[in-house]
Amino acid sequence: MVMNRDDIARLNEDLLRPLFRTSGRFYWAALILALIVIVALAAWGYQLWAGFGVAGLNRPVYWAFYITNFVFWIGISHAGTLISAILRLANARWRRPVTRCAEVITVFALMIGASFPVIHLGRPWLAFWLFPYPSERRIWPNFRSPLVWDFFAITTYLTGSTTFLLLPIIPDWALVRDKAKGWRRKLYSVLALGWRGTPRQWSRLETAMHIMAVAIIPVAVSVHTIVSWDFAMAPVPMWHSTVFGPYFVAGAIFSGIAALILAMAILRKVLHLEDYLTPLHFDNLGKLLLMMSLFWLYFIVAERLTVWYGNETSEMAVYWPTQRGPFAPLYWTMIGCNFLVPFIILSIKQLRTVAGTVVASSTIVVGMWIERFLIIVPPLERKYLPFAWGTYHPRPVEIIITAGTFAAMALLYLLFVKFVPIISIWELKAGVRQESVVPIPASLLRAPDLIESPSPSGLTRGPAGFSREVS
Amino acid sequence: MDHKWSMVVDLDRCTGCEACVVACRAENNVPTAGEDEAARGRVIHWIRVERYWEGEFPNPRVRFRPVLCQQCDAAPCEPVCPTYASYHTPEGLNAQIYNRCIGTRYCGNACPYTVRYFNFFNPVWDKPLHLQLNPDVSIRQVGIMEKCTFCVQRIKAAEIQAKAEKRDLIEGEFTTACAQACPPKALVFGDLNDPQSEVSRLNRSNRATKLLEEVGTRPSVTYLERGTWRGEKT
Amino acid sequence: MDRRDFIKISAIAGTTAALDGCGQPEHQLIRFVPEEDLVPGVAAWKPGVCAHCSAGCGLLVRVMPGEAEVVRGNKVGLIQMGLAKKLEGNPGHPVNRGKLCPRGQAGVQSLYHPDRIRGPLKRSGARGSGSFEEIGWDEALGTLVSHLTTLRKGDGASSLAFLIGPMRSQRRALIERFLRAFGAPPPVTSELFDDAVLRRANALSFGHTQLPTFDLGRVNYLVSFGSDFLGTWNSPASQAIGYGEMRQGHSGRRAKLVQIEPRMSLTGASADEWIPCRLGYEGVLALGIARELLAKFPEAKTLAAGRLLAGWSDGLPDYAPASIERLTGVPAMTVARLASEIAENVPALSLISGAPLAGTNGLFNALSVNALNALVGALTPTGEPDVLQFTPNAPLAPDFAAATAESPGCFSAVEALVREILLDQPHAPQVLLLYGTNPVFAMPPQSQVRAALEKVPFIASFDGILDDSSALADLILPDHSPLESWVDQIPESGTTVETVSLAPPAVYPLHDTRAMPGVLLEVAHRLGGEVADALPWKTFDEMLKAAYAPLMKAGGSIAATSEDDFWEKMQSQGGWWGQADPEAAQPAVGPRRRAKRGKAVSTPAPHAPLAFQPPEFDGSETDFPFHLLPFATQAFGDGTLAHLPWMQELPDPLTTAMWGSWVEINPRTAEARGIRQGDLIELTSPQGSLRAPALLTPGIAPDVIAMPVGQGHENYGRYASHRGANPISILSPKKEAETGALAWAATRVRIARVGEGKLVLFAGGMSRFPEEKGLR
Repeated sequence: MVMNRDDIARLNEDLLRPLFRTSGRFYWAALILALIVIVALAAWGYQLWAGFGVAGLNRPVYWAFYITNFVFWIGISHAGTLISAILRLANARWRRPVTRCAEVITVFALMIGASFPVIHLGRPWLAFWLFPYPSERRIWPNFRSPLVWDFFAITTYLTGSTTFLLLPIIPDWALVRDKAKGWRRKLYSVLALGWRGTPRQWSRLETAMHIMAVAIIPVAVSVHTIVSWDFAMAPVPMWHSTVFGPYFVAGAIFSGIAALILAMAILRKVLHLEDYLTPLHFDNLGKLLLMMSLFWLYFIVAERLTVWYGNETSEMAVYWPTQRGPFAPLYWTMIGCNFLVPFIILSIKQLRTVAGTVVASSTIVVGMWIERFLIIVPPLERKYLPFAWGTYHPRPVEIIITAGTFAAMALLYLLFVKFVPIISIWELKAGVRQESVVPIPASLLRAPDLIESPSPSGLTRGPAGFSREVS
Repeated sequence: MDHKWSMVVDLDRCTGCEACVVACRAENNVPTAGEDEAARGRVIHWIRVERYWEGEFPNPRVRFRPVLCQQCDAAPCEPVCPTYASYHTPEGLNAQIYNRCIGTRYCGNACPYTVRYFNFFNPVWDKPLHLQLNPDVSIRQVGIMEKCTFCVQRIKAAEIQAKAEKRDLIEGEFTTACAQACPPKALVFGDLNDPQSEVSRLNRSNRATKLLEEVGTRPSVTYLERGTWRGEKT
Repeated sequence: MDRRDFIKISAIAGTTAALDGCGQPEHQLIRFVPEEDLVPGVAAWKPGVCAHCSAGCGLLVRVMPGEAEVVRGNKVGLIQMGLAKKLEGNPGHPVNRGKLCPRGQAGVQSLYHPDRIRGPLKRSGARGSGSFEEIGWDEALGTLVSHLTTLRKGDGASSLAFLIGPMRSQRRALIERFLRAFGAPPPVTSELFDDAVLRRANALSFGHTQLPTFDLGRVNYLVSFGSDFLGTWNSPASQAIGYGEMRQGHSGRRAKLVQIEPRMSLTGASADEWIPCRLGYEGVLALGIARELLAKFPEAKTLAAGRLLAGWSDGLPDYAPASIERLTGVPAMTVARLASEIAENVPALSLISGAPLAGTNGLFNALSVNALNALVGALTPTGEPDVLQFTPNAPLAPDFAAATAESPGCFSAVEALVREILLDQPHAPQVLLLYGTNPVFAMPPQSQVRAALEKVPFIASFDGILDDSSALADLILPDHSPLESWVDQIPESGTTVETVSLAPPAVYPLHDTRAMPGVLLEVAHRLGGEVADALPWKTFDEMLKAAYAPLMKAGGSIAATSEDDFWEKMQSQGGWWGQADPEAAQPAVGPRRRAKRGKAVSTPAPHAPLAFQPPEFDGSETDFPFHLLPFATQAFGDGTLAHLPWMQELPDPLTTAMWGSWVEINPRTAEARGIRQGDLIELTSPQGSLRAPALLTPGIAPDVIAMPVGQGHENYGRYASHRGANPISILSPKKEAETGALAWAATRVRIARVGEGKLVLFAGGMSRFPEEKGLR
């Protein structure tokens, strides 16, 4: 395929359209989502004002919806950065249109997820005590506490994945800057950080991307391992498990890919990106999802089978209610959502279409939320001494705040798409160039052609600077 | 001499009367939850009398077991607290530092005995019931955990008194509110480092067990199992 | 005047000024009212007497200075004063020896209850509407005095009635004295779970109209017929102390506790063997055991206590094991085994109280168990102190001995009073005084107490909290809380030495209340004449001193140089008892001079031998297939403590229920009727019906439905009003045939599921642990 001037114009037009043209639908969607978020914030305000007891928690179920949301969203955050980094390192060519909409999921899901440890605190106004800052009390946080590990893991991951997201946006923002007028131009001038596309800049960007891609993978793995250790470190029946680290990471990637597919499908539909996010992408991601579904099944079997076989009284008290007790409906829904439905859809080639993967992903997102809930709540309900057992029922505050997180995710994504080209334009162009079977016309190698903007001096080489990629 | 505070609960003496429960409320300013909050499982009893049924009519059996904070030597609640609110004192008590607590409730989850209680609301005492509050014990605001302290205020008062009088603590000069009230003397409190103390003597009983010992918590509370009549199985 | 006095005086003056300026809260000032013995931040322990039941336990009240809003002379102000913080047992007291039951410890909440009546009230709306207006003490006393004066003028002195709760104290003596001088009949005691049947039986069997004291520490074998002696009956703290000794007090020896009852009580939960027995047939079982023993020890056929029962002298031929099994449902082999175990394990003891005495044949059951005790006592080697004893009464002057007078069979006395009122009999009460009792709540509806109270022209109540009965009063003269008053109590049992519990007020009054005895003395003074002459004391403590200071001559726990000295010491000790060393007063090493069972009592039985009569129940077995068993709870005792939030939130030990009523049902019964835990149940007796949530428990016979007493108040403060249901409201007014006591266990009911109920349980999970593992 050869990219000619028309192609480039169309590509720019397609991918920059959302930044320059805003339909009424956008405002309606943003308004509705913002309202839901405001209601959720109000619910949190109510919880702060009226007392934590307006949530449905009790003794012994001290953690429930909020921590479920925490784990769920941190899990979703694994979609992006991790997948993007792995695909970058593996140089999977089809990744180019996918990486950014994946990476942005990471950043927003992390922000949402990280808010829950604060929302769930009894005294959230003292959350800063988790920071290791020099205080007049000369007290550090307790470094033995998995919650402090969480704090470090999440802040590291958030910093890393934000950097990982922002680095490759810079050239695109420069493109927008060059195409824009008025306030947009001013805004994007700032955001583009003086990007001129010099070989030096390209080379530095390339190096930085490479370092980040390598570095972010262990961080991502460690984050969800540490999240799993919030549970595994406590001597609670069916929490205290060695499998939790990999189990959580696998589950996180699993739910993350599902979230990514959903996001892609929506973008494809709403922004008319059918040419960019092709069935091939869904097919590839669907295969990945199928693999993760099988992984997930392997982990839950490994966890459940060993518990069942071990037949330890305190664990069986938790085990049976999930298999055939009060939690059984949720449990078997989860199995259906996370394995049966995805397995059937994704293992049949004819069903692994855009629609098919979307269905499978939807059930997986639901199923993984249930999975987090089932990991957290049943063990707390039936922890050792039966006299102290209890039952948990969520109350409106928790449900509203949970709903609010989904709205917040959608709203943030919506706004992001408004300000950033959701598909990395320069990477796409570079990919096209790379994939072409015929020599690229010299004209295409000239930046002014590529960027179609008043050519700032020095913009002589485009993405071809990624010489390693070309080779 | 260092102290190692310990309690012995003789299940053969315990009648399940709950005198300890009320004594603890009175001593430690434990708030009243009210019917609705009680229905939601938020009643606070630093010491509770657990009741277990065995068998069916006409041969039902009941076992009572007073459960309070076991003041574990290897307490699972302590390492998990991010702010050191759950803290091990040099005398081996699991202290809960209310001011440090930010309410993660992690300690409550980690505790195998479920004896850590969360304040879901600010406590309220209908006036003038508040006049009963013990000035030696702080009241706990919304959002923090609380639990049995082994009546640390009584321990401290006795230690200060002994220090002022330049002497060692005397066995039996003070005890916890629950042990003080217990009519059949099922609860005994004392210093395990004193080999002559009542708790040391009872800890050597062949009926002595620890609750959930297999979790590895090394509790400071010892339970003496129920006896049987002439060794018969009951 | 030294500096200290100057500060005091100026402080008091300041307080007065502060209280004067209290119209608006911002004018309230905190002033320090000096109390000699209080240092800020330091606790003082003052003696007290527990008034939450009649056991008469001694208290230590922890008093610390604090700021309190008080009422003085109609003005509210904030002052600093000594506040009661906690109640503990008085270690020197021979009854409770430093220990205290949960109900006793809640005494501080009686003091600080937010719904205490803060000053005298006059009814302002219709009777029972609950609307009252505040008046001053002068007006209140004037109203009462004018009503009483009117009565006396018109030859109506005998139309004054006084309904009181159970008390063995100088308050009772004062009331008796007042009524006698006034020319009115003696006070009528109204109590739901009275022990009239057992007192009567003890009088017949042992010559003591009194509840017994048990030396549980020395007992090797204990058979309890329905007696919740560890929970609510008689002197629970003292008995629980003895129980601890019985279990682990002696190395190598551990007594057996056999509990015989159709619904497991707190005591039954601690039993080594629990035997369900048909309600009302407990005496038959006791005699079945006695028959086995008599066969081995025929010389016991001459026991006086035994000869009260028909057939004893002949060896109880009617009580063969087979018929026992048929009547009681207890296997014949069990009866024989119990008999031989008793014989092998003396000293053995049998107890009876509660439901077995609350049937129509209660006296028979009591006499049977007494006879069994006498028989077992006769088996005990001579020279051993007896394990069943009676607390001797303190040697009081006859004037003051009315404190310990036997109450007449109270239910029949209440009924008689009601009849007088409703039938307008001559001298029917025109003025009714109420103190410490709530008959509207605690008497079955057919006894028509409410109708009678509504008909009495004038009712004055001394209750400190508005309850179902005092809500009908025209005038309320609120009493101090016990911690604010002079309290005395003469324990009926729980110790083997003569004991008087006494304490001065531990704290200053919070509200504009006045102690009932003081009010009565003031009324007597205002009435003048014989009444004033009969009550010459200005204050109640003067009367107490007159009553108890002469005990100096009896020696005992106080060595004094003069009566004043004795009186001071008695106050600081929390009473007086016949032994200097409280440990020596423990039953475990008790003196041997007490009444011996059977053999020591020479009282001939003035009673024809009693034969077994099957218990009668209200309601036919076909229409009402279940026995209704109301029971006293660990939290509320006989129901009078339902207003205290601590007690509402105290989980019932066996069910863990809180904050409401429940109906205990055997799971099999429930399953057969499609009833599940928490379902709303309608309980219907021939007298009426009520609704409460079902609670399934294995500790109850399939033909018995049990329900706790204490909830279902219309009026009893914010924590108890309109909460739960009152089982007494569907009880039949059947009486024990011989004594006229209320047979509160003689009602049958039927049950039906009517919907979803609300059951608040402390234990949130399953009732059973799958395996004991993890608990051992």
